[in-house]
Amino acid sequence: MNYMDHRDLLRQSHLAALIESVCQSLEISPSQNQLARQRYEGVGDWLARADDPLLVTIAIRLQGSVAIGTTVKPIGTNEHDVDLVAHLRDVEVAVSPASLKKSIGDRLRSSGSYAGLLEEMPRCWRLNYANEFHLDITPSIPNPACRMGGELVPDKSLRIWRASNPQGYRAKFDRRAALAPRIRRSIGKAFDSARADADIEPYPENPGLKGILRRVVQIAKRHRDVHFIDEDVALAPLSIIITTLASRAYEYCVTNFEYDDELELVCDIFRRMPDMMQVDVVNGRQVWHLWNQTTEGENFCEKWNNDPRRAVAFHSWHAKALLDLETLAAAEGLDQMRRLLGSIFGTAPATKAIDALTERMNRARSGNLLSVGRAAGLIVGTAARSTPVRANTFFGADC
Amino acid sequence: MKPGRRSLTLAQQYVNLRGNPVSAGSGNLRRGHLTWRHEASPSPLSRVYGVRIEVDQQLSPDVFVETPDLSVLAGGRKLPHVYQQRPPRLCLFLPGTSEFRPWMRIDQTIMPWTVLWLFYFEEWLGSDEWKGGGVHPGESEDRRRGRREAVPDGDPYSRGALA
Repeated sequence: MNYMDHRDLLRQSHLAALIESVCQSLEISPSQNQLARQRYEGVGDWLARADDPLLVTIAIRLQGSVAIGTTVKPIGTNEHDVDLVAHLRDVEVAVSPASLKKSIGDRLRSSGSYAGLLEEMPRCWRLNYANEFHLDITPSIPNPACRMGGELVPDKSLRIWRASNPQGYRAKFDRRAALAPRIRRSIGKAFDSARADADIEPYPENPGLKGILRRVVQIAKRHRDVHFIDEDVALAPLSIIITTLASRAYEYCVTNFEYDDELELVCDIFRRMPDMMQVDVVNGRQVWHLWNQTTEGENFCEKWNNDPRRAVAFHSWHAKALLDLETLAAAEGLDQMRRLLGSIFGTAPATKAIDALTERMNRARSGNLLSVGRAAGLIVGTAARSTPVRANTFFGADC
Repeated sequence: MKPGRRSLTLAQQYVNLRGNPVSAGSGNLRRGHLTWRHEASPSPLSRVYGVRIEVDQQLSPDVFVETPDLSVLAGGRKLPHVYQQRPPRLCLFLPGTSEFRPWMRIDQTIMPWTVLWLFYFEEWLGSDEWKGGGVHPGESEDRRRGRREAVPDGDPYSRGALA
């Protein structure tokens, strides 16, 4: 491999590692995840031990971003949303959403541990664990009309049940996320050929993105959160819309195309996201459809058809997100990385990621561990044909 | 200069710069003056910079960044740790100390320090803070690192560097 190809490959893997580190800093940590699991299992036990006959078969299950591994820290708070379904497999449609929700609320309120944390939301109950996360518990019952094993969840009015399928959605998402992309210049291949040349220059400690679909969803959701700080946040596209578009685009891309590197795939998924929706023109009006493929009759874009500004807001956000990503993919300079990561993820996570690079360099410099390679630049440790960086003191008359 | 150490000739410096894959480039050696041009980049996410090293026998090497124009990148801010702004001549070591001596190879000192300088330069461009440490002329000795040796009178390297 020649010097420029090698450098280009290193560049792609370093950039992917940088994006990966930002995504990791924004998602729920393994310890928080573990704690949330203990908490919601405890809630499940408490609900199941109720005397209320409605709650006898209750089972608490994860849904949403924690379930599918696409969490991003909300801006301005440290608390992640942990979305749960309280599923009651023996409850029939004749029971109103309002009464089932009330049974769950009454049971939670009767606990000394939960009463103080409890907050009522339109369709669910929230348990607020300050500075950790909040657990949102939405009741659900089986949907006998759904051939895909779907469920029914309360409508916002609490008067009627509406079709959903949290379990089916999660399974379909996981199946798509597991589809392996075809990447021509993978780090592993390059590393093998580099080893053959005895020209090994180190790749980042964690090269590449851990699960491209999940990272795409996180990038998109975070960019949306940053973008809508200065816009009308009520018009921001819902996470379910972003997640659904990304997962369909991912499946389309990885089954049809081969990519040079991971970032090229990430950009292509973004580019194709809007193509995954259906738009019809009825009486001169645009009608948007993004059907839940795991149940019948759930259109994630339903609100767009009552408020066309939502569709406009989606498209202007999407154009900006795609532009920001493509600019980042082509950018050169650590200063540009900082700026462009900031436009995608917000200033604080971008600064943290670049500062971590600098601190790593400073530590290696103080320990006399730095060397310079032709393609990689500064390296912590040594590599074939690299030159050690001796101790120096930057001086300056014109500073 | 320690007894028994002979300065490297410009021809030796030239051969070493040419032989080190990291400073691969081109140069010439004429009438006691060495010019060497190479590309340098501090990380795969960085720009590729065009660097020129100028050395006269017995004087400290001068290092210039020729491309891209650092002042334009700095957007009007004054560049940190340079002897002059245009073209930028980099301050890479403390003159008159053991950091650089005429018996040391440029490709093993000045060249890697240039790459290090470029790393902190890009950092500075983004953060407005020079995180590479260092000293400014006139700063008291105690602000320097303790292990520096005193500047001997008449050291040609300190004169060269400060010229």
